[in-house]
Amino acid sequence: MKRVQLQRWSSTVLSPRARTVSRLHQHVFATGSRCQSTASPLQAESSAQEGPGDAGFEDVELMKHVRSAHRRKDMLKYPSPPVDAALNSAKLAALHARLYLPSRLPPQTLARALVDASADPNPDFNNESLATLGHDLLTYYTTEHLLCTYPRLPLTVIFAAMYAYAGPKTLAAMAREWGVEHASLPGGEVDPGLLQFRRVAPGSDLSVATYNNRTPRPYAAQKAWRMTVTSKIFYDDEFGDAIKGPATSGEGVTAELASATFVRAVMGAIYLHAGRPAAKRFFEQHFLSRHLNIAQLFNFSQPARDLARLCARENFELPVARIISETGRKSRHPVFVVGIFSGKDKLGEGAGASLIEARERAALAALKGWYLYSPLNVRVPSSMEEEGAAPWKPVYVDLGEVIV
Amino acid sequence: MATSIVASKRPFLSLPFLLPSWSDSLALGSRRYQSSYRRTKQRLRVKPDATFGSSHQGHDQIIYNPPSSAPSVYHTPSKFLPSNDARRSMRIENAGNATESVQDLPNVYRSDPERKYHLTPADVEEIRKLRLSDPMTWSRHKLAKRFECSPLFIAMVCEASPEKKQIQRQVLEAVQSQWGSKRRMAREDRKLRREAWGRDE
Repeated sequence: MKRVQLQRWSSTVLSPRARTVSRLHQHVFATGSRCQSTASPLQAESSAQEGPGDAGFEDVELMKHVRSAHRRKDMLKYPSPPVDAALNSAKLAALHARLYLPSRLPPQTLARALVDASADPNPDFNNESLATLGHDLLTYYTTEHLLCTYPRLPLTVIFAAMYAYAGPKTLAAMAREWGVEHASLPGGEVDPGLLQFRRVAPGSDLSVATYNNRTPRPYAAQKAWRMTVTSKIFYDDEFGDAIKGPATSGEGVTAELASATFVRAVMGAIYLHAGRPAAKRFFEQHFLSRHLNIAQLFNFSQPARDLARLCARENFELPVARIISETGRKSRHPVFVVGIFSGKDKLGEGAGASLIEARERAALAALKGWYLYSPLNVRVPSSMEEEGAAPWKPVYVDLGEVIV
Repeated sequence: MATSIVASKRPFLSLPFLLPSWSDSLALGSRRYQSSYRRTKQRLRVKPDATFGSSHQGHDQIIYNPPSSAPSVYHTPSKFLPSNDARRSMRIENAGNATESVQDLPNVYRSDPERKYHLTPADVEEIRKLRLSDPMTWSRHKLAKRFECSPLFIAMVCEASPEKKQIQRQVLEAVQSQWGSKRRMAREDRKLRREAWGRDE
């Protein structure tokens, strides 16, 4: 459908002397009917100056044809579809209904959210401002959810979880699930229901910094220097990556980045048109509802040592590994179940094919048990914005991760 | 002979591997009748466990057969709960008799490493001096044996000289150059498996 429309536009409007028109000419000369005037505004630029209200046309249907042809021509002047085209787009209406967006959010804004800054550099018509607002909202809601639900998470795990919830890859997958299609090329004549962005030229190297580097980090050019996790809080973005500036004009963006910007812009548009509760609901329904197993984000190199440090810090007894059960010690496939005990309390349990493996896994389970602590009745700070909210009780704040 | 065995209906005879080897000549196992099928079937009727029966008919009871799997990591151990968490007081009651036998469980290591803390700063200085003066003689393990501490402690207080490290690297390379593809792959696999422990895979 999308391709068919584009072909039609390009053959009639973009190149007036296309093959179809010349065939129409032959047809006109052969029959001598009034079809001649249908082609007239298309085949020559000079005839467009006469205007559609010329006395030469009497037929109402004919006038409609001519007017629409002129309108198509006007559309070509702009890099993105005109605002009033949003009301006539079936794709846009379908997307609005599919996402169950609030009716206060007009389709014109949704159409604007679909225009990337690489397609239309005019900030009044592209989605950059909406996306900035939406990005801030998304990261704020995700951060407060993570910090209040799992107050003991190490920072690297928080970065990974943030990326999993609100990273560009997830947002691009969401845009794909929402059924947002990409326009081949941006322009004023394309359907406003398509995501419009200028693509990266094929063959260009994405690993080279195409974005102007705006990181405030001192000595950022020293690639070999060690970057501490703490410095990432100060200098880097919410995913622990270096801050990138906006793409320079004239360069394209990847489809992933454009889709992510669109999803952020939708979030910002909902916040602007329908308010805070609707934005929060949208976040819970589309972002928090996605399942993320945080226990899989951990990676320890020496869990037994870390656990010993943790127990020393918290004034627990030294952790001791004890064999809970075992089978086939002298066989080819033995299984040991080892528990880590601190005093009389079991901290973790793990099974493995060797005593060392079982002990490491048990220490790992104990560490995860510590880091994945979640308080009862979690409330986030933004829940105080609701009407009639209960008085705020301070959330649990942990000392921080174990540093060896 | 065969008829008398069948007529005796001794149950173990229905299982041919229980019979002594002389019965092979009688070709008992080759004949299968409806009765032998029935007897085999009868053996398989195992009485269910007592917990599945209705012995406690007077009162209600809960049968809890815990699955043979590791506990969930989302289930925080009571010791790790903060002092103001409500779950802490709820769990202490039912944890009474389970922890009694902890001290009876065998240790993973043969003996607990007892911490002596007997080395003085002068000893540490001597360790460093010895290791720098003659690194070939005074290796980590020899120093550990002499000063009655762990090799880890030796590594914590001093470092080998760069020449010694270079020699050791060359020795390792010489050993590894003798490895064939099988041994090399096995070592690499072992390393990968070890890394997978940390990701809990």
